[in-house]
Amino acid sequence: MAMQVGLKVWRFNARTGERELQEFEIDAPEEATLLDCLDIVKDRHDGTLAYRKSCRMMICGSCGMRMDGAAVLACKTRMYDVAQSGHVPVISAMGNLPIVKDLVVDMEPFWDKFKSVDPYLRPGYDEPPEGKEHLIRQERMNVVHKEALCINCGCCVSECNAMESDPLFTGPQALAKAFRFVGDPRDGHKIARLEKLNGEHGIWECTRCYFCNERCPKGVDPRDAIAKLGAESMKEGIDRDMGAKHAKWFVVSAKTTGWLRETELVPKTQGVVSAIKQTRFALDLALKGKVPPPFPPHVAKDVREARRLHDLVRDQGRSGYAGIVQGERALARLAHGHAGEETLDEIYARPGAFHRPYLAGEEIPAGADEGMGSRTQADVTPGEQPTQKPEGGA
Amino acid sequence: MRAAIEAYDAGANVGVISKLHPTRSHSGAAEGGINAALGNAAEDSPETHAFDTVKGSDYLGDQDAIEIFTREAPGDIYQLEHWGAFFSRREDGRLAQRPFGAAGSPRTVYAADITGHVLIQVLYEQLVKRDITVYEEYFAWKLVENDGRCQGVVCWDLLDGGLKTVGGKTVVLATGGQGRIYRTTTNAYACTGDGAAMALYLGVALKDMEFMQFHPTTLYPSGILLTEGCRGEGAYLINSEGERFMKRYAPNAMELASRDVVSRSEQTEIDQGRGINGSIYLDMRHLGAEKIIERLPGSRELAMTFAGVDPIYDPVPVRPGAHYHMGGVQTDNDGATELTGLYAAGEVACVSVHGANRLGGNSLMETITFGRRAGRAAAEWALSHTTIEVPESVEADAERELKAMLGVERGERPWQIRQDLGTSMLENFGVFRRGEQMEKQVEILEELRERYDRGVVIEDKGEVFNSDLTQAIELGNMIDLARCMLQAGVARRESRGAHARPYDFPDRDDEHFMKHSISRWTDGRPELSYDEVRFTKYEPMERKY
Repeated sequence: MAMQVGLKVWRFNARTGERELQEFEIDAPEEATLLDCLDIVKDRHDGTLAYRKSCRMMICGSCGMRMDGAAVLACKTRMYDVAQSGHVPVISAMGNLPIVKDLVVDMEPFWDKFKSVDPYLRPGYDEPPEGKEHLIRQERMNVVHKEALCINCGCCVSECNAMESDPLFTGPQALAKAFRFVGDPRDGHKIARLEKLNGEHGIWECTRCYFCNERCPKGVDPRDAIAKLGAESMKEGIDRDMGAKHAKWFVVSAKTTGWLRETELVPKTQGVVSAIKQTRFALDLALKGKVPPPFPPHVAKDVREARRLHDLVRDQGRSGYAGIVQGERALARLAHGHAGEETLDEIYARPGAFHRPYLAGEEIPAGADEGMGSRTQADVTPGEQPTQKPEGGA
Repeated sequence: MRAAIEAYDAGANVGVISKLHPTRSHSGAAEGGINAALGNAAEDSPETHAFDTVKGSDYLGDQDAIEIFTREAPGDIYQLEHWGAFFSRREDGRLAQRPFGAAGSPRTVYAADITGHVLIQVLYEQLVKRDITVYEEYFAWKLVENDGRCQGVVCWDLLDGGLKTVGGKTVVLATGGQGRIYRTTTNAYACTGDGAAMALYLGVALKDMEFMQFHPTTLYPSGILLTEGCRGEGAYLINSEGERFMKRYAPNAMELASRDVVSRSEQTEIDQGRGINGSIYLDMRHLGAEKIIERLPGSRELAMTFAGVDPIYDPVPVRPGAHYHMGGVQTDNDGATELTGLYAAGEVACVSVHGANRLGGNSLMETITFGRRAGRAAAEWALSHTTIEVPESVEADAERELKAMLGVERGERPWQIRQDLGTSMLENFGVFRRGEQMEKQVEILEELRERYDRGVVIEDKGEVFNSDLTQAIELGNMIDLARCMLQAGVARRESRGAHARPYDFPDRDDEHFMKHSISRWTDGRPELSYDEVRFTKYEPMERKY
């Protein structure tokens, strides 16, 4: 069965700088993906159209491009629904990378950043004897499971807001790759890696817009990797960056008063001298009623709850990546209404749910870490749960 | 990449030429795993691995090569693990191993169902660590032969345009398979046999070209691969009557019989009317949601995306699809070809480890073990010889040929010929082969070659990212490789491994055909001859699973 698909493709010629939005109307099989449609265009309509492709099964990472302004893998994007709706999508090259021709971008800046994070294992002192493997529990490897899924397609980089304002920002892909080794128990250079990542254009430049998580076709969740790198840095005492100080102050402020005290946030983050320079700006804000007066500190009515939460997290001993992932995931679940009235224990007791994250000192049941992906680190990709079989069968 | 790393470590000056970025090569799509007799999951030994491989090859594998292969495999796996490969683990922290088809022991080391992806990442990481030069998106077009040896490669630079000649004292082909000759294939668009064709045109021998493996579980309709690991984890194959039909074909091994056996069984069910839309079902429902999500997340994602089926709730329609080419450029056990300075490793090569049928999990291992050996041998030769000389005429000739190709203004577009090639090959040279169909296909291929030679229209005349041009070159390569396959197939009047002729020659004929077919290019067409199989201690027996 065939369907009609309309596409508007942004053509680009790097030599002349010409840009043109070209419309195509093609017949394609109903199961066709965006990549299949582009193949039909290239074969039968216009052989000069340029795009990358290879595996057509979401693993080689060649065919990253934008559809209606959002980065996708062309081979993963089925066109049936779009075609049926009558909408004609606009196809363009990925963002944040120079265009070479039509939908092909120059990946060199991407790979340069990839290379800048020393993307290879740097073994520690305890090398295993020749002819033996390292002995590592699966749950320990699962810490970097998601980062190991990355196929270097560039979709996250395409969407990165921080990179748009600072093209030198290391970026979501390279940072996810960095965590792949920071979190690998076989790597012996964790501190040195974190020191480097805390430098200019490093982890604290991320604006936390979460576009990379949203657009990653493989569920790598680069923003989570960046959060984990931040948490690991602070755990290791690397907190000189304003970003780290900023985060630290959030915790102190929330614990002591239950509120974020913004007036104090500036000196705590930027230092006293820098803060004084911004006094006028602060006064302007205060006069317009944008910030509360700094004294006396405003204390939340139920501040004890905030303090209890703080103590709870501290008692679990889950600092670093372990804490931050658990925290973010729990919050995400609450925010998306998955939890309702259920407690986390109840959520993890649902049929088909993943294991509850194990707390420090807790006995891990036998068999829980068999095979890969038993995700004992509470590292659950949203949408990964089994789909519901439609009522009445398919 | 494994060869490049080894050559670099041996002290050679190395460059990698690739028409894709190295991490985008199709090894990354391998799912199930990589075989080495580590003995972590059960008693195992290189000898057992060798026996399984010899038997799987239907006794056409060269036994000395297979013994080297199985002996060196465990060390290579440990090295990959030391380099940082992300393998799945057992509870005791050692590498996990899963059962695979026709294997006497659970021997397949894996990383969930993304093993190839994990390996290609770790090899690229090691390439970056050594700062080895990569000529990215250089399309290798012609090998340079001068003074009786191979001295470089003429490439088309995809990004910047123009012909670029890269000189080298030695060249290692690692260009992969040629599955794109078939319409339904698990292979990437890039798998067009470029390396084998380049060698062929220089008169270098290709070996066992008739043996194309059909993988039993490729998705309907796209041909995308679902790993053998699905069956390794316990999935069933069922026909339209809900019967586990493998009990009639391989009562002991059932779904985990050798790939050629399972593919033939499926095709028989489909041919006899017990299929569903030309497919049968791969049923994983009894494995349960948790096991599927933990061990086979990638396969589930593929089934959901490309077949619209969630294997947790529904069986997945699958059918046999062209998957792996056992034949290729003939090499010795160190990857050396007939031509001095030219080496080959991986799917493009034929050592032969796989003979007439490859076992699942052996191909990734072959790329590593023989990639390493070829890299070492190529480096040693290069380090003991001094000069490279690429005659200017080589590039001038290529330039002329290129102009002629781009100059064609009227005629067919390449896709029509490509489509006819894929459809006819699937129909006439698929899982089962009939004498008269093969004869017909020989004629069809001659016609396709004529149509191609009349000139195909390349609409893109530009320099920048001209994939229209490279796809046309690939098509020419594929037609000639298909001609080699057919010539060898017609002449092999027996059934062995992946070459099945149930209607005229249903049995294996060791007396006449226990030998390798050799294809050589002579006057614009392939010429067939034969070569001996090398034996050590494994005597031919009947194959039963």
